[in-house]
Amino acid sequence: MKQPDSIILMMADDDPDDREFVREAFEECGFRGDFRFVEDGADLIASLTASRSKEANLLPDMILLDLNMPRVGGYEALEFIKSDALLRKIPVVVLTTSESEDDIERTYEMGGNSFITKPAGFEGLVSMAENLTRYWLETVRLPGQN
Amino acid sequence: MAPGRARTYYEKGGTGRGARGRMGTTKSDEPARRDEADQEDRFRLIVESAPYGILVADSEGSIVMVNRRAEELFGYTREEFAGLGVEDLVPENRRSEHRDMRSGFAAHPELRQMGAGRDLYAVRRDGSEFPVEIGLTPLPEKDRMLFLASVVDITARKKVDEELRQYARELERSNSELESFASVASHDLQEPLRKIRTMGERLETRSGEHLDERGRDYLLRMIRASENMHQLIVDLLAFSRVTTRGEPFRLVDLNRPFGDVLTLLDVAIEESGAVVTARDLPAIEADEVQMRQLFQNLIGNAIKFRRDGVALSISIEGNVRAAGEGEICEVRVRDNGIGFEPCYGERIFQIFQRLHGKGKFEGTGIGLAICKKIVERHGGTIRAEGALGEGAEFIIELPKRAMAPDSRIA
Repeated sequence: MKQPDSIILMMADDDPDDREFVREAFEECGFRGDFRFVEDGADLIASLTASRSKEANLLPDMILLDLNMPRVGGYEALEFIKSDALLRKIPVVVLTTSESEDDIERTYEMGGNSFITKPAGFEGLVSMAENLTRYWLETVRLPGQN
Repeated sequence: MAPGRARTYYEKGGTGRGARGRMGTTKSDEPARRDEADQEDRFRLIVESAPYGILVADSEGSIVMVNRRAEELFGYTREEFAGLGVEDLVPENRRSEHRDMRSGFAAHPELRQMGAGRDLYAVRRDGSEFPVEIGLTPLPEKDRMLFLASVVDITARKKVDEELRQYARELERSNSELESFASVASHDLQEPLRKIRTMGERLETRSGEHLDERGRDYLLRMIRASENMHQLIVDLLAFSRVTTRGEPFRLVDLNRPFGDVLTLLDVAIEESGAVVTARDLPAIEADEVQMRQLFQNLIGNAIKFRRDGVALSISIEGNVRAAGEGEICEVRVRDNGIGFEPCYGERIFQIFQRLHGKGKFEGTGIGLAICKKIVERHGGTIRAEGALGEGAEFIIELPKRAMAPDSRIA
């Protein structure tokens, strides 16, 4: 496992408020790594492509992905990630305002690892951040970590 | 015009038989012949007064007899019919097909409906077409085979059918508009609301101590108001989904959704000390999820509006009775809570209607409106009886066998 301060989180969301809330929520539950942001799917793909060509170490350990974004939406980004042999190992957590059954189903069908409807209230965000950290960053084993 | 006399029949080739009127037969004056003539007159009268067109053709397709309604329908007189074959009454693009089918029918004559399962059209004298339904009957005579076609003009029925279909389409569209409105509203309205809540909480945690008591109070009330609005939107969405997201009806033993609700509400039931009993709940055709919602709202309501100092008891009683061709299932949900003034019996089912100040009881005033919508989707009724301080009773009547749910009005 990586050292806590070398963990990279990547969040793709066009809503600056949400980006701030989520970062604060992760900090609140003790996250000490690198929190990066992009504003849409196009920037996410560009950023992943750039990191991937340098070294695997620069790739994020988890991606928080909004669905509804300008230019390139969440689904397109998800498709790009899950069709790349290296990128597909990164857990992708869809974090959206949607509660739609269709979105939930489509996310998992496309290989998304979790679907979370953005919690209302800061406490909900903190407990989400805690759960995500504990599960995806501290509990599960993912390929290529040894 | 006196029907059925001298020119009831037109008969090709004019054997005289068809044109024979009363005048020709009464002279002989034999009682048997008169009976026969009377009988024939009666028969003519029946044929003439039939509300549908009657055409008799021979096996060549030549028309040998028509009634008055056929004249009206097709716009030909009897004399004009004389020179026509049945194919002249068929739209041009169907004539050869009709001829083939007629030969087939002549080879295997039997009583039947023409063109079952597809639209049939006939042509008037002026070339206009109209939709018809045609019944065919073979009429064997001594030396030949005749065929009787009874022709019903279904223009009016088709118009009604089309109107119904149009109505159903509009209904479907308005339902899906409602659904998309509700889902957009719930999504886009929740968005800013979520931020108000989150920032309010952040403000309270981070700067709460710098605010005076009044400031903190404002903040808390602001957060609470945004939580209420969140609940309103969620409930509004649930209300709109009664019709748009309903499941098809299946046979449901009502004891099952009732049992589910006891489990769902077990904390509230235990805390309130309520005794909840159910008796004689039948099985009916219904949407099980919605039956659960119905019980949950009604039992939840009874718990919420309990009377202080009185042991709460909630009883649910089923009863099935015959009504017309079917059966009606009546479910009574009775409690001994605070009740309500009878004049509000109707109003409580309206959306967002509340009888009590918001400080006293929580809720958005949508639960009973959802109940009403569920019951109506099932083709039933719900009403409330009660008196202030004497408990309330909700009486639901549902058909035991449901009609198709999704043709219903939203």
